[in-house]
Amino acid sequence: MTHKLAFSLALALGAALAAPAGAQTLNVATAGDQNMVDYIKDYLGPMFEKANPGVKVVAVGTGPGDSGSQKIYEKLAAQKAANTEKWDFDVIVAHQKMSGQMVSEGLLAKYRDRIETGKLVSSATAANALGTNVEGFVMPMFQSQTAIAYNPDMVKSVPGTYAELADWAKANPKKFGYNGIKGGMSGVAFATGWVYAFGGDADKLQKGPYDAATKGGWDNALVALKAFNQNAVITPGNAGTLDMLNRGEIAMGPVWVDMFYTWMNDGKLPPNMKLKLLAPGMPGQPMYYAVPARAAQADLAAKFIAMATSPQVQADGIVKKFNWYPGIDARHLEGKLDAATWKKLFTDLTPDDLSKNARPFPIAPYFNDILESYEKKVAN
Amino acid sequence: MSRSTALGLLLVAPALALVAALFLWPLGFSLIAAFTAGGEVSLAHFRKAFELYSTDIVFTLLIVGLSTVLIALVSIAVSGVLTLSETGWLVAVLKQLYRWPLFIPFIVAGQCMRTFLAKNGLMNNTFVSLGVLDPSQTVSLLDWRGIVITFVWKQAPFVILMLAGAMASLDRSTIEAARNLGASRLRSLIEIVLPQVGQTLLVALVLSFVTMLSVLSVPMMVAGSQPTMLTVDMAFRINAYGDYPTANALGVISYAMTAVAAWIYLRHNLKQQREAGL
Repeated sequence: MTHKLAFSLALALGAALAAPAGAQTLNVATAGDQNMVDYIKDYLGPMFEKANPGVKVVAVGTGPGDSGSQKIYEKLAAQKAANTEKWDFDVIVAHQKMSGQMVSEGLLAKYRDRIETGKLVSSATAANALGTNVEGFVMPMFQSQTAIAYNPDMVKSVPGTYAELADWAKANPKKFGYNGIKGGMSGVAFATGWVYAFGGDADKLQKGPYDAATKGGWDNALVALKAFNQNAVITPGNAGTLDMLNRGEIAMGPVWVDMFYTWMNDGKLPPNMKLKLLAPGMPGQPMYYAVPARAAQADLAAKFIAMATSPQVQADGIVKKFNWYPGIDARHLEGKLDAATWKKLFTDLTPDDLSKNARPFPIAPYFNDILESYEKKVAN
Repeated sequence: MSRSTALGLLLVAPALALVAALFLWPLGFSLIAAFTAGGEVSLAHFRKAFELYSTDIVFTLLIVGLSTVLIALVSIAVSGVLTLSETGWLVAVLKQLYRWPLFIPFIVAGQCMRTFLAKNGLMNNTFVSLGVLDPSQTVSLLDWRGIVITFVWKQAPFVILMLAGAMASLDRSTIEAARNLGASRLRSLIEIVLPQVGQTLLVALVLSFVTMLSVLSVPMMVAGSQPTMLTVDMAFRINAYGDYPTANALGVISYAMTAVAAWIYLRHNLKQQREAGL
């Protein structure tokens, strides 16, 4: 009796599991916060299912930050090592560092040339992921960018470069705040931009090749940063900087642009606050759409990414919903966005500013060198 | 081996196994990782830890040390009032209030303090609206002071709980004798009550010291990261570089700090046992 019951249960379970597979399932794995999973589950998924009857989109979140991307990598690497014929993920959304590694280990398929929207991409990050050539393997989903947020009531002459900012901070002690390097990435980005500005050859840091001796040339820049910190407030975290800007305790500080606009929409920042991208450049980063080398539904995956990177979806989903910058060239979004949204996102930082002063993070070994040199020479 | 000993061993076996599996085993791993590099015994990770974090090591010790002293003063004062005060309503109110922070996790305390202690935070705004302070006079306490305030607020109730309990179980005739002979309440607290509960106070303070040394959320949320406490450095070492050996070396340094606290406690304990002729 019990055997019979177990058997019929197993049968029913098997049928239930098999059913979606027969009707085509697209498995999308995404690193990042819960909002990334929601974006795919609640926004892209239903849209794609509607356009392709019989297809079911399943979204899987693997966790925030580089460690989320690490989990996607581990799964694909394990399936490759086991020589599995069809891998479990059809589309992945991952950060730069691990995407580069996945390309160099042959875990991803080249698909960008096959889709229509592939031509709409202009960003350098579509070809170069922190030093690894990823041309053809990835499409940027969005670009997120750091910039200096400031309160125009308290800042009359807005600094345009790192050097001008240093002078401004000296003249206005404790009115500039950032979160060091242990409290989140906006502070890391600010410190990285400082090394780009005063540490010599910034291009080499972004493109390689790596030379362990380079960090020796940053001493003057770091001594200056230590002196700069005397006039700055070290805030508790990315949100800490925004909090202090909101309460008027500091007048300026580096922030993530998407967080800045989201907070402003939620009424947690005064609406007159503005952004400025310092020359010679501050870092930002994309997340990538990619297709694993042996995805079960490779064609469907490419179709999904083509939809997700189409100008209309980029305008409505990426820009309007989440305040990110589009993954494709912003020029293709003109006319797809209502004037207010367009104005908001591109008034403070014009597309021109972005193409001139939006920089990638340094290649991985230089990145670690910058952080550790900061710990050694600035923080200690 | 008698039957009862065997049974006793059997009873403690699960607890011992847990301690071994969840504490001794990882402790061993972390010690090995801290003291070896490339398979050989080495102090390289400690050199790196001191090179990068010497300020933070001193900072951690000062913060936790200062907090412990302040906690001691606050808890002696509050327990003293609870035990010796003759103002009924004050004792009743204090008794009701002092335990509350015990039920609040460190991370929630950190979150509250972050908005409470800011330059234009709840506390300063209240002072300003009461006319006590001018807006230009307010200062942000979100630095080392914020950490100390949060620690004292969070840990003092724990020490008071133990200390007031110990004071309540004292033979009250000693206190009454002192009071009858004309000693003030403060004097009876310091000369009669405290010496009898010193042991309890010490235990509670050592436990608080160790707890505060291990808190990550408070330094992370309340203060900026320069300088910061060792827990933040350990987390950063792992999250930013995947560098477990240096994080473990920092861990060993904080074990060393706790070991000092444990040593003081044990020494004191032994001395008392000798004096009692045990």
